[in-house]
Amino acid sequence: METADLTHHISKRFNEDLEKVRNQVLQMGGFVEQQLHKAITALVEGDSRLGESVATDDYKVNGMEVSIDEECSRILALRAPAAGDLRVIVAIIKTITDLERIGDEGEKIGYIASRLATMERPADKYREVKHLGRQVAQMVHDALDAFARMDSQAALKTAQEDRMVDEEYEAIQRQCMTFMMEDPRTIRRALEIMWIVRSLERIGDHAKNICEYVIYMVHGKDIRHTSLEDVAKQIDQAHSLARR
Amino acid sequence: MWTFALARLAGILFLGLILGLLVGPVWLWVLAAACIYLGWQLLNLHRLDRWLRLRSQIDPPPLGGIWGDVIAQVVRLHRRKQYHKQRLIQLFRELRRSTAALPDGVIILSPQSDIVWFNRQAARLLGLKRPIDIGLRVDNLIRAPEFVHYLHGEDFALPLIIRPPVQMDLYLALQLVPYGAGQSLLLVRDVTRQMRLEAMRKDFVANASHELRTPLTVISGYLDTLADDPSIDQSWTGPIRDMRAQAQRMNAIIADLLELSRLEASDGEAPREPIEVPRMLERLYRDALARSDRPRQVELNLESTHGLFGASHEIESTFTNLLVNALKYTPADGSVRIRWWVDEEGAYFSVTDTGIGIPSEHIPRLTERFYRVDAGRSRGQGGSGLGLAIAKHALQRHDGWLEVESVEGKGSTFTCHFPLQRIWKPAVRAVASA
Repeated sequence: METADLTHHISKRFNEDLEKVRNQVLQMGGFVEQQLHKAITALVEGDSRLGESVATDDYKVNGMEVSIDEECSRILALRAPAAGDLRVIVAIIKTITDLERIGDEGEKIGYIASRLATMERPADKYREVKHLGRQVAQMVHDALDAFARMDSQAALKTAQEDRMVDEEYEAIQRQCMTFMMEDPRTIRRALEIMWIVRSLERIGDHAKNICEYVIYMVHGKDIRHTSLEDVAKQIDQAHSLARR
Repeated sequence: MWTFALARLAGILFLGLILGLLVGPVWLWVLAAACIYLGWQLLNLHRLDRWLRLRSQIDPPPLGGIWGDVIAQVVRLHRRKQYHKQRLIQLFRELRRSTAALPDGVIILSPQSDIVWFNRQAARLLGLKRPIDIGLRVDNLIRAPEFVHYLHGEDFALPLIIRPPVQMDLYLALQLVPYGAGQSLLLVRDVTRQMRLEAMRKDFVANASHELRTPLTVISGYLDTLADDPSIDQSWTGPIRDMRAQAQRMNAIIADLLELSRLEASDGEAPREPIEVPRMLERLYRDALARSDRPRQVELNLESTHGLFGASHEIESTFTNLLVNALKYTPADGSVRIRWWVDEEGAYFSVTDTGIGIPSEHIPRLTERFYRVDAGRSRGQGGSGLGLAIAKHALQRHDGWLEVESVEGKGSTFTCHFPLQRIWKPAVRAVASA
């Protein structure tokens, strides 16, 4: 009787620990999302101060990563989790690395945006970049939602969106090249824009990675470096098995 | 009914007794009769039990007597329960339908901030999904750092305005309403329209003031030339002087409007640059002494060497506005006292005058734009009517507030309160070297 109570107690504390660290990840995600929004707004509205504040706030993201990392190591050492719990911890450790990188890319965008704010703005007011930015921000948001809901199907759907981001990235790249050829005076600005869209494209990749960790966490399948069609098939199978 | 049942039992036992007296041992016959009666009752009990178990599928057993009575009771109880249940379900559905039809989003949260229930509008505004989101923590899905801070804070008096990450062009006002044992309601309202209108108003004021400036500069320029022109008829001197004065006033109003809209546009906290308040006050004091229309006695009491963290020009324009007001509304034989001091709760700047004072009913509205205590008189004194509005906004940006005490006919005290975290302690180095 006593031992039963003890194990119950331990698992309850363990659950609380896991829940706490999961919340921390999502809090960090929320902050990173905000940084990304601010960086894009700074670029589109030419707000150099906002851009600078994004760049200076990145240290907070790094701090969160370190503290979550420590918490995960502590859980691994103290509780030696197995199966699903272990997968959650592993997925968290990987997710925060990607979140931290998203933060870094956001910092870069903010920094470049604050520099671009002093330059003349193009006639289209960075419409394409804004569109790509929104798409990428939505991807990050959906990836974190999938993480919160442990929703592998949403994660898969979001991971598939990365292709669209890549296409858009290439389109903007071509557009920039045309601009540079037409008018060499725009080269400087176009190069900066190239950096920004490159960062956005990288953020899309990181969001895709987070989605993959969600699928790993839910189904225990490592789907990195496999085609998404195969993954879709496997997840459908898993779902139909679960339904049976 | 019960007497009938008792009579039946007595009859059966009597029959057994008679039969026992006629043939064989009496006790055997009486026992047999009792057993038959017991068996019959058991059978009835069994039928009743079976019916109670499978009530929805079979009809009640056709029993009379006390059993029939019991069955009738059960049926009645059941009917009454069904009726109440139906009514409750109906009421619940009505409630749910009405909350679903609410124009605002509603989320019910458990004490642990888990989502218990939400309506359709909340789902639409915040991108929640049913049923997968029930039981998730609300701050796992609404991750904006301000919201997380608000949720774990204590102060729910005012709604929090955020931009949802899903639809970036919306503004949502979120308000937490605690109720019951730790539960709370999270109300979500779309305030995009109000925010747009507010932005439009601010833009309008800023643009209009800006546009008025250019023509006014031309007018003042010509008036200046005309005033110095000797060929102008003497009778025009007075009107031209008045026109110049009014043009200057318009300039001042426009400058204040622009300052106010600048303060409003730069939302959030003021920057934290160190300001040497004592030095600033000494300068303002010298300016005050240099004024020709000042009251006889003007004092400066610097009781602290501390400064503030903030935006220097905002603090300066606040202090100047308060000081100029005091100088303006104090008669020549009155006195104005400026004080700067620090205690364990914060820092304070105050201006006390022995002027005309303000009737108490006007005090709460003093910081409204263009609010005049006495319309006729204060226009004569010049001033834009925006000074206190500017002071209020500037103080808000420094986490401070303005306190006004006044006795009509005796004088007023305007005090600016600053919190501890805004106080800047200048380095002790200067003292050590001295």
